[in-house]
Amino acid sequence: MSALPEQEAIAFHKNLDAHGRPLSAHEREKLLKKYLPSAPRTTTATPKMPSRKPSKRTRRKPMRAFLLNQTHVLLYTVIHTVFSIYIRLRRSYQALIARAFAVLYYHHRTPELIRKDVKALDKLPEHLSVILQFDEEDGEAGLGRLVSEVAEVAAWCACAGIPVLSVYERTGILKKYMPQTHASINATLTAYFGPGTSASSTRPQLSLRAPNLPSYSPPSTPRSSSPSSSSTTSIPTPTLTVLLLSSPDGRDTLVDLTKTLAEMSQRSKISPQDISADLIDAEISESVMGEPDLLLLFGPRVVLEGYPPWQVRLTEIFCVRDSGEGVSYQVFLRGLYRFGKAQMRFGR
Amino acid sequence: MATSLHFARLRKWLLSSPPAEWGIQQLRQLLLGALKQGAVPEHIAFVMDGNRRFARNNHIETIEGHNLGFEALARILEVCYKCGVKVVTIYAFSIENFKRSKYEVGALMDMAKVKLSQLAQHGELLQRYGAKLQFLGQREMIRPDVLETIDKAIALTSGNGKAILNVCAPYTSRDEITTAIRTTVIDYSKPVMPPLTRPFSETHITRNIRAQHLSPVSEEQEAIPSKSNGETNKPQQDIPEIKLDHHSATDPDTNAYTSASSSPATGSTTLPQPSTPPPSQEVLNFPDPERITASTITSHMFTADAPPLDLLIRTSGVERLSDFMLWQCHENTDIVFLDCLWPEFDLWKFLPVLVEWQWRKQREEKGESERGWKWTTKGKIA
Repeated sequence: MSALPEQEAIAFHKNLDAHGRPLSAHEREKLLKKYLPSAPRTTTATPKMPSRKPSKRTRRKPMRAFLLNQTHVLLYTVIHTVFSIYIRLRRSYQALIARAFAVLYYHHRTPELIRKDVKALDKLPEHLSVILQFDEEDGEAGLGRLVSEVAEVAAWCACAGIPVLSVYERTGILKKYMPQTHASINATLTAYFGPGTSASSTRPQLSLRAPNLPSYSPPSTPRSSSPSSSSTTSIPTPTLTVLLLSSPDGRDTLVDLTKTLAEMSQRSKISPQDISADLIDAEISESVMGEPDLLLLFGPRVVLEGYPPWQVRLTEIFCVRDSGEGVSYQVFLRGLYRFGKAQMRFGR
Repeated sequence: MATSLHFARLRKWLLSSPPAEWGIQQLRQLLLGALKQGAVPEHIAFVMDGNRRFARNNHIETIEGHNLGFEALARILEVCYKCGVKVVTIYAFSIENFKRSKYEVGALMDMAKVKLSQLAQHGELLQRYGAKLQFLGQREMIRPDVLETIDKAIALTSGNGKAILNVCAPYTSRDEITTAIRTTVIDYSKPVMPPLTRPFSETHITRNIRAQHLSPVSEEQEAIPSKSNGETNKPQQDIPEIKLDHHSATDPDTNAYTSASSSPATGSTTLPQPSTPPPSQEVLNFPDPERITASTITSHMFTADAPPLDLLIRTSGVERLSDFMLWQCHENTDIVFLDCLWPEFDLWKFLPVLVEWQWRKQREEKGESERGWKWTTKGKIA
């Protein structure tokens, strides 16, 4: 709704008056005058300020200002009371919807069901990214929960056929427990796909890595039959790459790059003019990762918490407003659905 | 669409009756005054998306959609500044947008020119809002005649200090980060005045001492250099201050020194020129690159002097940042995606976002974390 009444709004919009003549600067000022805040005290030469108004205001000012202030405080309290009721309702509603989705779509740890769920989608993200939380107060239990969340999401990706998953967790604690995380993901994959060799062709090969750390692979692969089976069926075994990210992979990486570039420039190995977005992009995507297609947040609102800034440029960000903080399959699936329907338009 | 437009017209007619109008105006003022009672975000960014789709939906020309978008912007700016928001940053034009049709780009440029020149005619009125206009982005990509108008508008508002309007055009965040990195590198590639080039040389001092022992000089001539020595040596031990000290302190020192060196024994010595670094030194002194931190780069961003971004709002339901404010918004900024198109965006759509932000801030201050609100139990994976 415009602050201007209709006729004046039209006049202002078209820059023509009622008779179709272009407005002069003076006429435009006249149109807008009553909606503008009062002139600051310092400018004395403001034209056409009614002369009686200021004197009136100064006379009545203390009482009036007090009353006005009280009204504002009251209104503020009312607004926020109403709003907190509203947001409770909104959250309950959202929780109901989430429940309904969770009942309608449940994976039952079977790849077939997940595959069926995503079959309707025209496109899937090549690179999915998720932001997970780690409760530092919970210590061990928090870590265990985080690892199992990573494993679950990785298994869903494996079933849906998403080849790259990056997991962002601010503190980076997972990077210290790479072998355990690897084992946990593998165990979950086994739970989904079954231990037998019959399903092993669809079970993806797992590789777990983190920027600037050697990628972790188990010392000896127990599934000795898998290379032979894949070669006989001549279908290349799908791979699942899980990438662990933390806040140093964001800004700090760009800072490190700047340091290196500054050093090179000091030794006049490069000129500052050589620094281009393409150069930075090449360096950053090589050392950390490329741009993810879809970023899933399981929390109730969109806050990136230090997620690598360079890479989120065109990433679709999905978050269910007011949702609880737990990782849930229905949010994962809704994110994929949203992504599948979205039309890609570059540059807005 | 036609029915909704029809309905909108009817509603407009009802609301445009004078009493209703007066009431709404009063209500607006009251609401804005009430909002000011709580915390207000200091820095808000808007991605004004949906002008073209709005034009398409309502069967009007694209440029007309942009025009309406400009009016929506004016409305929102009014709300922001009246609430007490200090900095508003808007994504007006992306570098990528140059890929659009030449006709549209040209029309957009024309529109910017017209609006800015109108703005320039109302300099006095702008003072009341006290907003300063700034353009962020690649200036050299703007058409020269438009650039001229832009500069005029910037100059006109440069004296205002109450609020800032940052217009990002032609802008992409990657370009901004690249520029910031480049300027940081340039900064760190400038050789600093090496700490060795003090205006005193050791040999000179020893020679001076020897001279004092050999030929007794008059008392007051001797007092001058020793005094100035004591004064200037102390601050020079502070490494970061060297450059400043050096320049401010050279003149009196050298004067003192030359007067002292006029004593017969040392008259022939030449002092190292303090203003120019000695060419004999083959290793240039650079600032240590390890001192570069994230805040160094932040200070080279276009938004260096703005407070941290509190809220980023994107309209039209596209849930993507599209290369906007990446560096600024990836930490604690609340990012809000709204479904309405930008020309439809107004106080009544903006208000819930603002109130929710205030509400959350209030809760954070109370120390009540969001965890108490969780509906799903911890650790349960549904």
